[in-house]
Amino acid sequence: MRFILNKNLKSLVLKILILIFPLLINQALAQDLRIKISSGQVEPLPIAIADFTGQEGKANEIGRKISEVISNNLVGSGQFKALESAAFIAPPTSPSVRPNFTDWSPLGVKALITGSVKSINNQQVEVEFRLWDVVAQTDLIGLRLIVDSKAWRRVAHIISDEIFQRLSGDSGYFDTRIVYVAESGPQNKRLKRLAIMDQDGENHQYLTDGSFLVLTPRFSPTTQEITYLAYFKNEPRVYIFNLETGQQELLGSFPGMTFAPRFSPSGDKIIMSLATKGITDIYTMNLNNQKVTRLTNNSSIDTSPSFSPDGKRVIFNSDRGGSQQIYIMDSKGNDVKRISFGKGRYATPVWAPKGDLIAFTKMLKNKFYIGVMSQDGSNERLLAEGYLVEGPTWAPNGRVLMYFKQDAPIDDGKSASVNLYKIDITGFRETRIITPSDGSDPAWSPLLPN
Amino acid sequence: MVKSTFISIGLHVFFILVAYYGLPSFKVKEPLEQPIDIVEDTLISSKTVLKLGNPNKEVKKIKKDIVKEDKVKKTPPPPPPLPSKKIIAKKNIELKKKKKLKEMAEIIKKKPKSKIEKNKKVSVPKVKTKPKEIKQKQKKLLARGILKTLTKPQPIINKDKINKSQNNNKNVLNKLKQIVGNTSIRSLKTEAKLTQTEIDKLRNYISKCWETSIGASEVKIIIPLKISANMDGSVNSVEIDDQSRYVKDTFYRATADSARRAVLDCSPLPLPKNKAAQFKSFFFDFDTSFIYRY
Repeated sequence: MRFILNKNLKSLVLKILILIFPLLINQALAQDLRIKISSGQVEPLPIAIADFTGQEGKANEIGRKISEVISNNLVGSGQFKALESAAFIAPPTSPSVRPNFTDWSPLGVKALITGSVKSINNQQVEVEFRLWDVVAQTDLIGLRLIVDSKAWRRVAHIISDEIFQRLSGDSGYFDTRIVYVAESGPQNKRLKRLAIMDQDGENHQYLTDGSFLVLTPRFSPTTQEITYLAYFKNEPRVYIFNLETGQQELLGSFPGMTFAPRFSPSGDKIIMSLATKGITDIYTMNLNNQKVTRLTNNSSIDTSPSFSPDGKRVIFNSDRGGSQQIYIMDSKGNDVKRISFGKGRYATPVWAPKGDLIAFTKMLKNKFYIGVMSQDGSNERLLAEGYLVEGPTWAPNGRVLMYFKQDAPIDDGKSASVNLYKIDITGFRETRIITPSDGSDPAWSPLLPN
Repeated sequence: MVKSTFISIGLHVFFILVAYYGLPSFKVKEPLEQPIDIVEDTLISSKTVLKLGNPNKEVKKIKKDIVKEDKVKKTPPPPPPLPSKKIIAKKNIELKKKKKLKEMAEIIKKKPKSKIEKNKKVSVPKVKTKPKEIKQKQKKLLARGILKTLTKPQPIINKDKINKSQNNNKNVLNKLKQIVGNTSIRSLKTEAKLTQTEIDKLRNYISKCWETSIGASEVKIIIPLKISANMDGSVNSVEIDDQSRYVKDTFYRATADSARRAVLDCSPLPLPKNKAAQFKSFFFDFDTSFIYRY
């Protein structure tokens, strides 16, 4: 009987297990559904920047100015769209207070920036900010800085960089400076001075007095130094200007014409073109021992050299093929290849800091263009055009270009105006940089050291 | 024998309990909790406190309804569940299970009736059959009573018990078959593959909400987000799957955040109604390759 029961029980258990087993297997093998999203909207992100709150008049004023600079920076990048403060439902809150997101989400903003300014003493202020994700209802980043109250503008740039990086993934470029050639006076007696300013045109300063002609200033990628070309008694000289000490160093006086000196990525070399006996070739100069090395040896004109970010390759323009085109070679001058094959002539190639793109000037049918292409010459895109647009320089994050644009000349003896412009690499947002006088040949600095 | 009977009963109870409560939990995964942020929000925002309070109230209401339905058996079937609330859905599933089990139990009892139905004699009650069974049982008992004194009654009783236990086992098996069968049918129904049109509809819907930055466009990455959606398409939770990369890679973090915003902004999702169960846990793989075109 026990045997019968046991057998019966065993068969029952077995049957149950047989019934349950496929279900368990089915559950184990079941995979979650996956749906690939392979398109989206690359549009400026709507954000709200509340005025930074302050406890008293001075702090309030600084707070308002900081939020204004942040707004200008972010909107100027072309990647953000700031909501007018008049549309805000809720008043600005301290960054330590979690905002009521229901006040912000109906406005369509995706991110909110709140901040505060507190006076510590007569000289110092404490600036704090927080970036909030309005949709996910969470904070993304926060920062507190104690600075001299006069440095509020730089604080605004640093905060802008933090926000830009958190929301776009790219490093920022707002805490940077621009060096350029400030031009004034009539066409036949043009005064050209070296000048420096913040990337937004503020804190403008002249570095030279205009007693000699200056050309092609370029920032060192590693130090706060500028290399530039100056004509002293009609002889071209390459100088290095230290921005921290204000000292100038003469690198050398070269026979014939010298063009476009530019630092190597490591900052220990200068690459430039020298014209001797009607032949223009590319040379490097070691800044430690002043040893000059010739990279190209061709009867054509090779000029505008620029190192790749890894320092292993050089791009330049040359007319060796019959028309002015962009070429690439290794850092020793070997393995020269042409990379531009479009219509027109190409000049002033500049390698992007990330190495992904090359900016250039293009001349086609009496018009100038600023464009970008991949390092193999493919994917050419023209971003800006004008009567004369030239001299592209990259922001340190490689997402924005600055260049100068000259209007068509007018026959009244006056010089046509020349202005600085910047454009993001989508090409959708071109912004003029306001300078005290005309400006040309801009060069963008790396991010300032903290 | 007593031992074996207890073991048999114990096993029966165990497997019935497994069938009742265990099996559905394999199929129905517990919905993921909302992020902590909302809990924090309650501390500050009075509006969100109210929002959080509402679901609990609704749950209470539903519980009351369920109790009423249990008490009044003959009342018409309950109204369709409020699809937006996961708890309501849970309770309804439980209700359905209970009802199905009850129905199954009735079907098992009404085996003779089904034969009658086949013969188109619906009106014939099983009351007529029951007295016959009772009479037969009484006769048997009487006979046994007589036989007890004459012969060893035990084997006969055991046979009956064995038959009974076999019948019970069959019943349990039938129940299990029906439960397993039903769940597998149900799973087959809900796990029916989405059509390309349905996938495209959802894909386009999310694409319109995904506002991303040109950022590091040279980086081509796929960002998987684990989504839990309710039956009405409202998004229950969004989890960034690769947390280690989220912490290390600034572009990944920024783009993953934009993808999360897209899903939350797009809530409720346009899910196909008969296949909404598949969206209790699923993935959106956000591919940044398209940014390169700009």
